[in-house]
Amino acid sequence: MGAYFLKRLLGLIPVLLGITLLVFLFLQLIPGDPAEALLGERASAEEIAKLREKLGLNKPLYVQYLTFLGNVLRGDLGTSAVSTIPVAEELKRRWPATFELALAATALAVLLGIPIGILAAVRRNTLWDTLSMSFSLVGVSMPVFWLGLLLVYLFAVNLHWLPTGGRLSTDLSIDFQPLTGFLLLDGLLAGKPHVTWDALRHLVLPAITLGTIPLAIITRITRSAMLEVLSQDYVRTARAKGLAERQVILKHALRNALLPVVTIVGLQFGTLLGGAILTETIFSWPGIGSYIYEGILNRDYPVVQAGVLVVATSFVLINLIVDLSYALLDPRIQYR
Amino acid sequence: MKKLLVGLLAALSLGMAQKTLVFGSNGEPVSLEPGNITDGISIYVQHQIYDTLVDFKPGTTEPVPGLAESWESNKEATVWTFRLRRGVRFHDGTELTAEAVKFNVERWWDPKNPTRIDAAARYEIWPYLFGGSKGEEGSILKEIQVVDKYTIRFVLSKPFPAFPAAIGSGYFGIASPTAIKKDGAKYGSPTGSAIGTGPFRLVEWRPGDQIVLERNPNFWKPGLPKVDRLVFKVIKDPAARLAALKAGTIDFTTDIPPANLKDLEGDKNLDAVFRPSFNVGYLALNPSHKPLADKRVRQAIAMAINKKAIVQAFWGRLGVTDGHFTPPSMKAFQSPKVTDYEFNPQKAKALLAQAGYPNGFDLELWYMPVSRPYFPTPKEIAEAMAADLSAIGIRVKLQTKDWASYLADRKKSPGFQAYMLGWNGDYGDPQNFYDPHFLGPIADLFDPQGKNLVIPELNELLVKGATTPGKEREAIYQRVDELTFDLALRVPIVHSQPLLAKRKNVTGWTPSPLGSESFEAVDKR
Repeated sequence: MGAYFLKRLLGLIPVLLGITLLVFLFLQLIPGDPAEALLGERASAEEIAKLREKLGLNKPLYVQYLTFLGNVLRGDLGTSAVSTIPVAEELKRRWPATFELALAATALAVLLGIPIGILAAVRRNTLWDTLSMSFSLVGVSMPVFWLGLLLVYLFAVNLHWLPTGGRLSTDLSIDFQPLTGFLLLDGLLAGKPHVTWDALRHLVLPAITLGTIPLAIITRITRSAMLEVLSQDYVRTARAKGLAERQVILKHALRNALLPVVTIVGLQFGTLLGGAILTETIFSWPGIGSYIYEGILNRDYPVVQAGVLVVATSFVLINLIVDLSYALLDPRIQYR
Repeated sequence: MKKLLVGLLAALSLGMAQKTLVFGSNGEPVSLEPGNITDGISIYVQHQIYDTLVDFKPGTTEPVPGLAESWESNKEATVWTFRLRRGVRFHDGTELTAEAVKFNVERWWDPKNPTRIDAAARYEIWPYLFGGSKGEEGSILKEIQVVDKYTIRFVLSKPFPAFPAAIGSGYFGIASPTAIKKDGAKYGSPTGSAIGTGPFRLVEWRPGDQIVLERNPNFWKPGLPKVDRLVFKVIKDPAARLAALKAGTIDFTTDIPPANLKDLEGDKNLDAVFRPSFNVGYLALNPSHKPLADKRVRQAIAMAINKKAIVQAFWGRLGVTDGHFTPPSMKAFQSPKVTDYEFNPQKAKALLAQAGYPNGFDLELWYMPVSRPYFPTPKEIAEAMAADLSAIGIRVKLQTKDWASYLADRKKSPGFQAYMLGWNGDYGDPQNFYDPHFLGPIADLFDPQGKNLVIPELNELLVKGATTPGKEREAIYQRVDELTFDLALRVPIVHSQPLLAKRKNVTGWTPSPLGSESFEAVDKR
């Protein structure tokens, strides 16, 4: 198991190197000069030339890439060409926001999706099954942006039940100094549960918005996986033995059905970590997604490169964890 | 439990004692260092922290005393002496003196200045507005003299009557030299300080989230600011920002799309606010494209476009159209002889025939892919113009490309045939509008041989206007107005009024035409 783990970790390195190279090359192919985009309508030729020099855009491509790689290995992810803030610092600051939101959305999707999926499988072809599958279809088809705005207008603007955006109320956020950046935790650590409550209220709508698609997907996958497992011989045997239905489903069937579900959950979580741009935009959630998006719009090369690298790394690591978790779920899987 | 309640009550009562104003910002500042930015959002925040030498009367571009109580120049407008207010202190307690002002200006002007911040430093705005940096031939500034503790003198290499207005623009807030020296490269960044003399002090800048400012208790204007705390909350998406305004999460904001005007007017908790227009959205017609080399053809195009209808449709009350390149607030520099191009498709067709195009011609019309303050919905506006032009026989092909390329490629000979673009003024002087667009060699217009366009008569007038002081300037620029109208190289389509919004309980907000203003007088009932 340890050897397998090590082997997988080593296998990460060429993958990540390949990713940075690809990102670097793609950015070079995009039309438009970053210096011109930064300076806008007012730019004269000399000003653009000066800025290109300052940003190192005139050096040969391989020099730019190698410089970047060397810096990454030293923990220096560059400095934003727009804001002059070191990228690593900014990513570190925004990471908890993205992680907390992705976790909340995934938790919502799992806590609702798996039970609904199980029930749909168990009560196959009943009204419940039809309803949950339709709901799942709607969820997957609904534009995230539209859903988010709809939720904001309904629950925040009209009913005033929940806030419109941000992670904390303005008044609280001014005086509260977060310790870890995970606000739900920080409130408790600082002995200020009202902060945790406020952060939770702010998390609700974005988590629902972001979690709807994963919820729909997880529901369907759970249902399919359960259906497949429930039709297996050993399930029939378990029932024949006289075990309670509940035991059959939860102890015997679910555990085996979970393999594909865990894969999907892992993939979804990994995707949410880097791609919550729309949700972050609507709810002014200061996360990594919007940071990278702004970087793309501004042709802020250092931000996009480092951002994509971080997201890709997280995704690959999560996949590794998912793979390793199979051993827990299915002892039959041998690792060589 | 009791401790919790007491804590809660304490927090609540603190909140009640302090009056907090929340502004919804449509983006993040780039830097809080003066002279090192050009984006409107940075300037907006800087406007609360810093003062400039020269201020502007609220809602106008008229210079009034700022940190300088008074100023005067010699007859030729080449030597400008500013007398500073006494007893003004920076937020860190140090005093505002002529030396402090000199320290600031030198950082902007001198590329070799040791206190310049290296990381992606962009001190381009000073050379842009003042002809060049120290040591460069075009630099208008020649020497800075500290006459005495509170008097500073700027010696210029050529006459510049608009010098006070230019140095008063929001880019040039005066910062504390002590703070800059202490913070070094961190100054103006989220991890450093930003110390000025302005109505608000910087408390904290959380990137991507918000900027918190608090009242400056030693502000040199008595009775101001009105509120204790000012928060810039970053909400980039316009729909989300409007929702936040409606819900009361923010108190006031800018950059509301014109389409939301009805919504604002229908909401009993909100007021629509209009920033005085200080921009121009125009259609450029490039003589490098053969038909457009003839003035009559360009004038025909100007006469074929139903500008009034277009502005009414896309801006409603929020836009005006006329024949002046400069916005309505620069009336003094506009010729009374110029009103607008007559909307007359018949006459336009006749003009085309006269010029030798009775059956029209093909034209590529470029529109930008991004929303601009002067053209919020460029594609639709381009389509409307194309429809008008097809009525007189001009076959329009609409084109666009990504914004960065759009800006870059228009300057590559022969440029675009016809394209939409615009301009927002940096300070209240016609030179700032005319020179970048009409002073040859013009960067983004070309002659039929593919060389950058130069119009000698116009150049002569513009150079004269920039260097002639006093009332004479007005006459010169009026002549420029007439000439540019006749040439129809850039047909002004609109001077738009950006739409802003506030909750009804917010008072005292007078938006400046220049794009940002101090919130010192803004209050919340």
